[in-house]
Amino acid sequence: MAMEVKVATFRDIFQYEAGRKGMHSEEYLQLSAQIIMDKEDLTNLGVKDGGRVLAENEIGSVVLVARTSADKAHPGVAFMIESPWSHQLEDDERCKQGALGFRGISAKVSPSQDNVTELSEIVQRLKE
Amino acid sequence: MVSAMEIYMLLPKTNCKKCGLPTCMAFAVGLLGREKKLEECTPLFEEKKYEAKLAKLKEIMAPLESASETGLVIHPEKCFGCGNCVVACPVNVAAEPTRCGAGLGPESEKVILRVEDGVVKAFNLKECRRFGPNKILCNACTATCPSKAIEFV
Amino acid sequence: MTDYNYRSCTGCALICEDILYPDKLAVPQARNLCRKGQAHYQSLFADRTKPMIEGRDASLDKAIARAAEILKDARSPLIYGWSNSSSEAQAVGIDLAERIGATVDDPSTYCEGLFMEMVLAGKVPSCTLDDVRNFADTSIFWGSDPSSSQPRHLSRFSYFPRGSKRQKSYEEERTCIVVDVRESPTARLCPDTTYRIGPGEDVQFLEAMLNVLEGKIPKFGDKKKMIELGSILKKTEYGVIFPGKGMLQSLQGKMELFMDLMARLNEVTTFKAIPVAGGFNTRGFNQLLLDRTGFVKSVSFQHDNGEVLHRSEDTLAGAAKRADALLALGSDPLAELPVGVARALAKVPMVAIDSCRSITSDAALVVIPSAITGLEAGGTAIRTDGMKVSLEPIMKTDRLAEEQILTRIMEAM
Repeated sequence: MAMEVKVATFRDIFQYEAGRKGMHSEEYLQLSAQIIMDKEDLTNLGVKDGGRVLAENEIGSVVLVARTSADKAHPGVAFMIESPWSHQLEDDERCKQGALGFRGISAKVSPSQDNVTELSEIVQRLKE
Repeated sequence: MVSAMEIYMLLPKTNCKKCGLPTCMAFAVGLLGREKKLEECTPLFEEKKYEAKLAKLKEIMAPLESASETGLVIHPEKCFGCGNCVVACPVNVAAEPTRCGAGLGPESEKVILRVEDGVVKAFNLKECRRFGPNKILCNACTATCPSKAIEFV
Repeated sequence: MTDYNYRSCTGCALICEDILYPDKLAVPQARNLCRKGQAHYQSLFADRTKPMIEGRDASLDKAIARAAEILKDARSPLIYGWSNSSSEAQAVGIDLAERIGATVDDPSTYCEGLFMEMVLAGKVPSCTLDDVRNFADTSIFWGSDPSSSQPRHLSRFSYFPRGSKRQKSYEEERTCIVVDVRESPTARLCPDTTYRIGPGEDVQFLEAMLNVLEGKIPKFGDKKKMIELGSILKKTEYGVIFPGKGMLQSLQGKMELFMDLMARLNEVTTFKAIPVAGGFNTRGFNQLLLDRTGFVKSVSFQHDNGEVLHRSEDTLAGAAKRADALLALGSDPLAELPVGVARALAKVPMVAIDSCRSITSDAALVVIPSAITGLEAGGTAIRTDGMKVSLEPIMKTDRLAEEQILTRIMEAM
């Protein structure tokens, strides 16, 4: 069971606050390592609110907590707060001038039994 | 904000009338309007079988406890500190037209809303237009909040 | 009432100047700082950096000396950050970049950079935020959510306050419009004038706006709602658009589309645009670099002759891959950049000049602790709308200000 979604990232004031207090905190992890999905998409995927999903594409992969979106229906579109987790799925094209060639993040989302990806693991991957 | 139905679901639902009202639903509405106190439902406190429900009731009604005479409740954990309510409040603006009126933080102690330590705090609620016998249903602060951090019960 | 000792906040590019920091004589708690500003202020007491070399404590002098060594020996050093530094620090930093033949880049490259370039060059009509407060009757947040990124934007300038021509403000005289992919906190404030689009559909929305301005049936979106938008725009006396990176990235460099829209709007009425800059002094950096090199970002200084280059390989993606040393100036590139770029940077010797611990400082070869600009060190900065602000520190510290650190690094070379 898997689904392709476009992922749009956004800024959140509470996640910013948690990050300023300390990026290795539980709070920062909880706020950042989540993907907000359309209610029906989650049902079709067989994942409950609070359940875990693997989000992957040719750039990378992360295990996140899935949350039901409170917005009006937006099938095929998911939201993540801009964070080291969202950057794991992001094309370098985003760093070209004007982000030319960056078509946004697309990822395949599937239910997962693995633990949510820790920040330390993301940092470790950078050094490989 | 907690609803009368949510409160009702946690009451004994026996319509025993010990609180002085004919039904538990009426009691739930009375609790919400703060005309009734939880203690008036004696079975809730005296009978062990309602222990868990009583605990849950106390939890969901806690915001009502802290609500002021005007019914104003602030949830600081949701507040962005954006100052929209500070600038929209007609009492604030009347007190400080060149500051709150123009988007700046207030200086006087006469204002009702002020942002402190990153979140909004309420003061002098007697000055709020929702207070007292001539109250009007002003909702400037709640209507301008991006996160429902300030609301009326 | 006593004369309050107002200070500024460097939490975002609004650089609010009516802040009262706790001082038992005046106020016992901080006043007027939004949640973001409060978090920034509290970082004074969070995990601060210490001078370090290779993960071990070192003296400040040794750390500076080692940093100078790394940067001097590098053939293609990259200096990234800049947006959280004072204009004075930025100026010294550019001196350093010229000296060592570095590429300089800041986050605006992939955010509002191209738009900022147009604003600074005068190609897009712009104005100050005070003008917005005094004159604007329509504020359009397109791909931006200031409630989350510049929280006091709407209460200080763009929707709620009264202004000289807008005494009845949001209740009768101002309209707030949001165009976004989600129901952001800003969108919640004006649900009737929120236009939700899908990711990447900004160009189509822009074209639909042009359609309705010309009295044509829009080919995109809810026709009735778009026509209503057309009416709002035509009735506007002084409109301002605040484009966020969501929209700007969607344009894929086709800024002429946005210019077309601005031109068309200005045929009908007055319309301006102001960037929503990330980092409190992004605009200051872009302006400084423009004044000194003719370009606002992504510039390389040639090693031998200091010639200024501005090629595609100078933008962050290319520069990071070529870099053989990184100076992270008040920034956390390993946490903020796409994984491929971050990985390229993690491989090279990194010098982190920062006030608080970050992913980058933890991985850096050399860490040099800096004072927080606006709190522990002063200077000047440029607000997101171009207004110059003077910053006075609120406390003393032993930590060096960034411009002192950068000066010492150059002296050590």
